[in-house]
Amino acid sequence: MSDRIFGVFGIILAAGYVIAALAIEESFLSDAVGPKAFPLIIAAILALSGAVIALRPDPEPHWPALARLAEVAAAVVVLILYAEMLPVAGFVIATAFAAAYLAWRLGSGPLETVAVGAGTSIGIYVTFHLILGLSLAKGPLGF
Amino acid sequence: MELLANLGDGFAIALSWQNIGLALLGCFLGTIMGALPGLGPSNGVAILIPLAFTLGLGATPSLILLTSVYYGAMYGGRISSILLNIPGDEPAMMTCLDGHPMAKKGLAGEALSLSGIASFVGAFLATWGLILLAPQLVKIALLFGPAEYFALFALAFMTLGGVSSTNQAKSAFAAALGLGLATIGVDTQTGVPRFTFGEVHLYDGLDFLVAIVGLFALSEVFIFLETRHGGSDAAGRKLTIGKLYPPVSMIRQTTPTMLRTSFLGFIAGVLPGAGASLGSFISYSMEKKLVDKEGTFGTGDPRGVAAPEAGNNAAAGGALVPMLALGVPGSGTTAVLLAVLLALNITPGPLLFSQNPDVVWGLIAALFIANFMLLAMNIPMVGLFTRVLMIPSRILMPIVAMVSFVGIYGISGSTFDLLVMIGFGVMGWVLRKLDVPLVPIILGTLLGNAMENNLRRAVTIDNGNWWTLIDSPLAIALWAIAIIGFVLPLIVGARVKAKMHQRRDEEGAISD
Amino acid sequence: MKITVTRGLVAAAALSLSAFAAQAQDNPECIAPANPGGGWDFTCRQVGKSLQDLGLIDKTMQVVNLAGGGGGVAFAEVVNKRSDDNSLIVAASSATATRLAQGAYPGNSMDQVRWLAAIGADYGVIAVSADSEVETLPQLLDTIKADPTSVSVAGGSAVGGWDHLKVLIAASAYGIEDVRSVKYIAFDGGGEAVTQLLAGSVQAFTGDISEAKGFVDSGDIKVIAVLSPERLPGEFADFPTAKEQGVEAIGANWRGFYAPGGMSDEAYDAWVSKIGDLYASGEWKEVMAANGLAPLDLQGADFQEFVAGSVAQIQSISKDIGIIK
Repeated sequence: MSDRIFGVFGIILAAGYVIAALAIEESFLSDAVGPKAFPLIIAAILALSGAVIALRPDPEPHWPALARLAEVAAAVVVLILYAEMLPVAGFVIATAFAAAYLAWRLGSGPLETVAVGAGTSIGIYVTFHLILGLSLAKGPLGF
Repeated sequence: MELLANLGDGFAIALSWQNIGLALLGCFLGTIMGALPGLGPSNGVAILIPLAFTLGLGATPSLILLTSVYYGAMYGGRISSILLNIPGDEPAMMTCLDGHPMAKKGLAGEALSLSGIASFVGAFLATWGLILLAPQLVKIALLFGPAEYFALFALAFMTLGGVSSTNQAKSAFAAALGLGLATIGVDTQTGVPRFTFGEVHLYDGLDFLVAIVGLFALSEVFIFLETRHGGSDAAGRKLTIGKLYPPVSMIRQTTPTMLRTSFLGFIAGVLPGAGASLGSFISYSMEKKLVDKEGTFGTGDPRGVAAPEAGNNAAAGGALVPMLALGVPGSGTTAVLLAVLLALNITPGPLLFSQNPDVVWGLIAALFIANFMLLAMNIPMVGLFTRVLMIPSRILMPIVAMVSFVGIYGISGSTFDLLVMIGFGVMGWVLRKLDVPLVPIILGTLLGNAMENNLRRAVTIDNGNWWTLIDSPLAIALWAIAIIGFVLPLIVGARVKAKMHQRRDEEGAISD
Repeated sequence: MKITVTRGLVAAAALSLSAFAAQAQDNPECIAPANPGGGWDFTCRQVGKSLQDLGLIDKTMQVVNLAGGGGGVAFAEVVNKRSDDNSLIVAASSATATRLAQGAYPGNSMDQVRWLAAIGADYGVIAVSADSEVETLPQLLDTIKADPTSVSVAGGSAVGGWDHLKVLIAASAYGIEDVRSVKYIAFDGGGEAVTQLLAGSVQAFTGDISEAKGFVDSGDIKVIAVLSPERLPGEFADFPTAKEQGVEAIGANWRGFYAPGGMSDEAYDAWVSKIGDLYASGEWKEVMAANGLAPLDLQGADFQEFVAGSVAQIQSISKDIGIIK
């Protein structure tokens, strides 16, 4: 069933892609092929393979229970928050929290959680910023 | 004879204590950066340019440092591919396919040292190719016009079938998805934005590094989160790392593979429009077509480890040919190296070999030194690398995730890229569940633009005549190989594939 | 892990102290609106290094790469978030002006920032392969006039980008009315375009002088026109200008900097004089020579005017050929 849904999704995706491709505003100055042709070819392949997947599905994959799904969803939310907070809170603080969260959810004890969070964040800061000289997000405290 | 004299001069330049120290430093940093997801060879070299400038290095020492980083990163990429199933950089993607299954079988040590040897062979042969053939090879590069490049890319995609998945439709779907993602951004031919929905961050398109790190590294983290209580944590990480050195029989078995793929990778590298990723990819898929009679590729076949590693390192050497002889970079990394050369008042081009022989031969000597140094460094360090497998995933995975984020953020400084990366992470997780291979997606995003642009250039040059695509003997030959590569497995390979299905079913669908 | 922690703490403490003491221009920062390794990145790093070598700034210039939207992401960031930052400069070039002129930075315009100074220019060239029958620019343009489909011109920028505009400026100066008929093929960078000229896939090349130099020296291609007001000095003096062949076309790919729109006059003047001093130094002359940069001595108000003029010119030609409405 999963593959059938996936295949149909692929066809819908291809259709959406075609609509978006046809909406490309061509400039007066174009080459002989134009910006639409290649996306349309791709969309055809996408739809075709989607159809094949839907018609000849593989055995059902193993989907996780709802609780596990929530686990992944929560991690996604945390990572999005991390990305958003990075320029605000600064690299070291934001990273320490994100790394600690992941360590906790992957089964670390309280002490280990703190150690992984602080260690990862400071270790990365030293390697990437102080040694390699990459510019990382500066927070209100300057790091 | 003149050649040897030149090479001797080169070594005389390169073999000073300072330069050897720089090569050592470069090899070490390069290996680390190659192994870290998100930092590939091109970023590695770019990051170290300021270091070369602040140290006030001259032309040859700077080049020695930076090419050591380049070769080091090409070596390093395989480490995380094999140990974590996360490619350290884009050319190392193909090494995941057999390298990680080998590690899972308890052969991590063998896989690492074998791939180290394969890397050495590829890079070593490519350096000789660079010395002996650079001027003639330039002529090969000139045979490739837009139509021929398009045929070459088509060949890469048409031989894709079954490389990384048992389901052809899913491979095709993934490739189309990747190609579709590549079309996002301002169309480089006409300057109109496509699929950007007014978002200025999308105008430059999606960075394939963002895609690769999201699809591989983050989705891996999600899988661990999902299965923490499922008990596969213990099953997925065996503590056995096997022997540290491959048995002689394994080296003998893989030698023909290494030689063939070194040649193929080198040629792919020489073509400025193709590059190292295509080198490792074509090496793998061609080798699979050639020797994989039993369908063991993708399940931990040592030849599947040797092929892409020899191929991508040979391509790295080959990419220096057009960079030095034409001033045209064949890959992101050589583009950065080119900028360095220009900053050092050296203009690569047809006259470089006669005008700056000290630079060229010093560089070539440096390549040999770096290569031997990397072999010497990598083989003993295999034991150290494999220790990574002993770190419990509850500690390792947060580090991998954060390093991925910092790799992307440190380069682009953009929160938007991070969000896109998380999106790719979720997508990668779902697609893995559905047994859709991830490799074709990356290949599509990597090559999509070049493929489309060459198609459009070719047709535009010929005033809208699509037949121009099969207008030269070389293009026809490439198309012929592509079609044979596509059709032959469908006819002859049905039996083989049935066997493969069976094997896969027994082992469970773990590969992607 | 222990060692890492202490090291990190020391470093963090040192950094927060320095952040505390930060004053305008004490912490100079340069945004390169592209990934490391490109032209903008080079501009930032090279200028930062030379400024420090000459003692014009005390601290190392921090180079921040902020890629995206062909410089649009950085432009928006400067306008929206860092408009009153006195220690910030941003690398720019003709490509920036081209995109501003064509409205490719949505919602942004050139008067939202202050233009500081130029650090040099790369003049455009038009070249053909060495064995081509074409010897002069008018000859090439005549061929195009007679049959536009017979000549493919290759360049390193997108359609409507700077390399394309250069050949259109020449074509329009020569009196080709429908410049849109000129067949332009976009490649990924000038080097690739030259290679395709050598391979025979295309008949002419439009690009910068630095991209063509190596191949001219080797005798593989010949430059039929350089788009500068007068002949260039030194080894480039052999190239005929378009002007002397009767085609009034000038195309300079300049490199320079802009600063946030809300920068104080004091800080603006300080930056202008620093970059002016840099430009006048012997060291910078060497850097320019090494990189094939031709003189373009414009600072402060002069530069502001120059950029405005170049934006207007690009706007008008882009309208003519229908890239913008």
